[in-house]
Amino acid sequence: MKRFFEPSYTTWLHRANPALKLILFVALFVMTMFVHHIDASFYLACAFLLLLFVCSGYPLWKTALLTAGFALVFVSASLTMILFGKGAEIWWSFGPIHISKESFYRGLHLGFRSIAFGCQGLLFVLTSSSTGLFYALMQRLKLSPKYAYSFMASIRLLPMVGEELRIRREALAVRGAGGSSGLGGLLRLPERYALPLLAQSIRRAQRTAAAMEVKRFDAGRRRTYYYPSPVTANDAAALLLLAAAVAAAFLLARNLPVFGLGDMRMDP
Amino acid sequence: MKKAAMDIAIEIEPGLETKRGKEAGREAKTKAGEPHGAAPDADAQTQSGYPDGTTPAGTIDREAEGEARRQPPEAAASEEYAAEVRALRLKFPGTQQLLFRDLSLEIRRGEKVLLLGPSGCGKSTLLQVLGGVIPRVTEVPLKAERLTVPDSAGLVFQDPDTQFCMSYVDEELAFVLENLAVPRGEMDARIEAALREVGLDLPDRHMPIGDLSQGMKQRLALASVLLLEPDALLLDEPSALLDPEGRRTIWEAVRRVSARRTVIIVEHRIEEVLHWVDRIVLLRSDGSILADGAPAGLFGRYRAELREYGVWYPGAWDDAYGGAEAGAADLAAENARRGAPADGEAESPAGTQRPGGEANAPRMAARPAGRAAPGGGEARGEAPAAGAPLLRLRDFRVRRGGRTVCAAEAAEVLPGDLIALVGPNGAGKSSLLLGLMGLLAHEGVCEFGGIAPAGRRAARETAAKHAAFVFQNPEFQFVTNRALDEVAFTLRSEAERALRAGRRPLLGRRPKPDAAAESGMLRRSRGELARFGLAGFEDRHPYLLSLGQKRRLSVASAVVSDKPLLLLDEPTFGQDARNAFAILDLCERLRASGHAVLMVTHELEIADRLATQIWRIEGGRLVSAEHTGRSRSGGAFVSLVSKEGTE
Repeated sequence: MKRFFEPSYTTWLHRANPALKLILFVALFVMTMFVHHIDASFYLACAFLLLLFVCSGYPLWKTALLTAGFALVFVSASLTMILFGKGAEIWWSFGPIHISKESFYRGLHLGFRSIAFGCQGLLFVLTSSSTGLFYALMQRLKLSPKYAYSFMASIRLLPMVGEELRIRREALAVRGAGGSSGLGGLLRLPERYALPLLAQSIRRAQRTAAAMEVKRFDAGRRRTYYYPSPVTANDAAALLLLAAAVAAAFLLARNLPVFGLGDMRMDP
Repeated sequence: MKKAAMDIAIEIEPGLETKRGKEAGREAKTKAGEPHGAAPDADAQTQSGYPDGTTPAGTIDREAEGEARRQPPEAAASEEYAAEVRALRLKFPGTQQLLFRDLSLEIRRGEKVLLLGPSGCGKSTLLQVLGGVIPRVTEVPLKAERLTVPDSAGLVFQDPDTQFCMSYVDEELAFVLENLAVPRGEMDARIEAALREVGLDLPDRHMPIGDLSQGMKQRLALASVLLLEPDALLLDEPSALLDPEGRRTIWEAVRRVSARRTVIIVEHRIEEVLHWVDRIVLLRSDGSILADGAPAGLFGRYRAELREYGVWYPGAWDDAYGGAEAGAADLAAENARRGAPADGEAESPAGTQRPGGEANAPRMAARPAGRAAPGGGEARGEAPAAGAPLLRLRDFRVRRGGRTVCAAEAAEVLPGDLIALVGPNGAGKSSLLLGLMGLLAHEGVCEFGGIAPAGRRAARETAAKHAAFVFQNPEFQFVTNRALDEVAFTLRSEAERALRAGRRPLLGRRPKPDAAAESGMLRRSRGELARFGLAGFEDRHPYLLSLGQKRRLSVASAVVSDKPLLLLDEPTFGQDARNAFAILDLCERLRASGHAVLMVTHELEIADRLATQIWRIEGGRLVSAEHTGRSRSGGAFVSLVSKEGTE
């Protein structure tokens, strides 16, 4: 049976070296941060949304489900700026709320940029496995195996905590302690859930660490790798793909502007 | 002798301090780039020898060994020993007592040794010392005149869930090979070979470890240490958390791979191990060696100690409950003498059929005095008429995530029943219990004492009123910071519920029981703690109790409110024999006093010896509910262990 987070087909982005891909995506983030034209941010958001649907390797409904949250991101990012931002050309005003033309477009600009960020991040996450990423980081970027394997071990432990949370909730319900609502219940939450779960997790982490050392894990020693992490043509392809997406966004913004406004930091 | 020990402890103290200082220095050096733990033997040498170069007087007055079977250390050359400690002293930081005082032990190459002893005697620590984990990996102050450990040792621990750091079978095995810097090209063949060696035939090696059964996980752990190509295998209770099937397979695998290796085992459950070990080392609770020798002679001589230490030796059940036929009358007499509610007749094997209400009536009346305590609210008022079923299921189906996980067409629980709920892993046993408590959605009829609630909320409330539930991990059940409050919590919340039902609360004002009721509840809780052998631990944090005490506290807090039905999820799981028998005695006493006990268990002995009914669950269905020969009205059939007093 396929798990939810298991792509149904792979693309260049999946096959690219995760460490290099990480660098690429960090560069993308920085680039997106320095986009100040609303047309550019609009097309960037569109381009990466498209890329996400085409290249993530997941069926349409899964991608749609995951991106649904972006609507909220868009609204929350833009709304504050739209309602309370400064501007000369006031469209509507009520009490402390002033919607001006400038603030409205700035708000939209922020929203588009958040979507672009979100899509880039999701695209990276959906196309890389954590194991692959840590193996690549160890081999390409000299990440200490100590941290890499600790992270991988902790990822393995996470679902167990979820399972324990469920058991704890049931146990408390049986004892008649689960349903206490209101402020009192809220205050007791850390004591009732955090303490036992934390105690169990610490014990478990300690045992895992001991088991790792017994298997002669030694961060200082030379080691070989089960998953090699070569640089291949796929990396070049991934680079070209992402560069093409960005270039297309900028070209469209210049030649086919939707808003036609200037730099968002100045008066648009 | 006691005084001598104290003197030594004092004398040794400065030495240990120096040791710790030295270690700190070494750690600093390690940080500066020196390879850590490069040579385990050299390390051990650094640890050994006293700082002032003298031998302490303590070695002279060492206790005479119980068995004189061991040769003098000088006689044997150290080469033939796989592991050897001489005059080992070890103390955990922050504790007063030395865990080991001048312990000496040699283990020859290829020997199969079983370490036995009471819990807390340091078996696991000794195993880790012999395996070179202490002090190489875990730094614990220790001294030894001589400490030789195997060049490479493979350790398997108790908990199947915490021995892996990767998510997939092949990745986990590859992790070991990576550590050994094995070239990538050789990895696949070696992984294949290791899996074959432990009998783990997987369709796909890239399989999530989470999908394996607990027994398979332990075999995977064994496979991963085999990749270290160890001279010695050290096993720290590898089967304690496994069901019988898992236990069988792991020991089979161990036997298969142990041919030319030294094997050192710490284990409570020894029936699978006993017939192939060469030697047993029996430790006392103070960490000294009580006996050391071949299994055959040792068992006859130290049966009492083994029983006291909670070892599951073969025949532990017979010793606790008497042999198949002999002990029963004996026990009944014993019970009568102790004033346990026994009405003269012991087992009446003919009583398979439903006992009449008359048979149960005196039993209900014979509840231990003092349990009719005040302030319990009216929840207990509706004890069902004797003989009427406490729980009746008709077409009962428990659902989880939209599908039926356990179905029961018809089943009944009567007062005086002790029902063993058996079946393979994942068959839906625990789900059935959760469904009964209303924690999982269910369909069909589930009547508690004749009341059939409608709706999930009502079902949950009715269930909570009639049945107490004990989860497998006692820690998950604790809600307070004191053992006494833990028991009182059940009473308090019940009293509150009763008050709340009486009048509508005004805007968050929680009705509180008055002072008299409160003191009554505390008195009752104290009584309950005493009944479960926990007197004196009232102020202890529940987490700081021992494993067996935690288990008893969780049962105490469940049964204090005197609900007619007690549900337990594997109460004896992972417990040593002593604790297990103590729990079973509690259940049996409850049963004899007119309650009903329903427990999920893998322990077939419970089903055979104690159960009045055996419910078998297979493939998500209650396939059979058969009556055993035990009568519901029989007196409490408690083990002999419990009369020796608890902890």
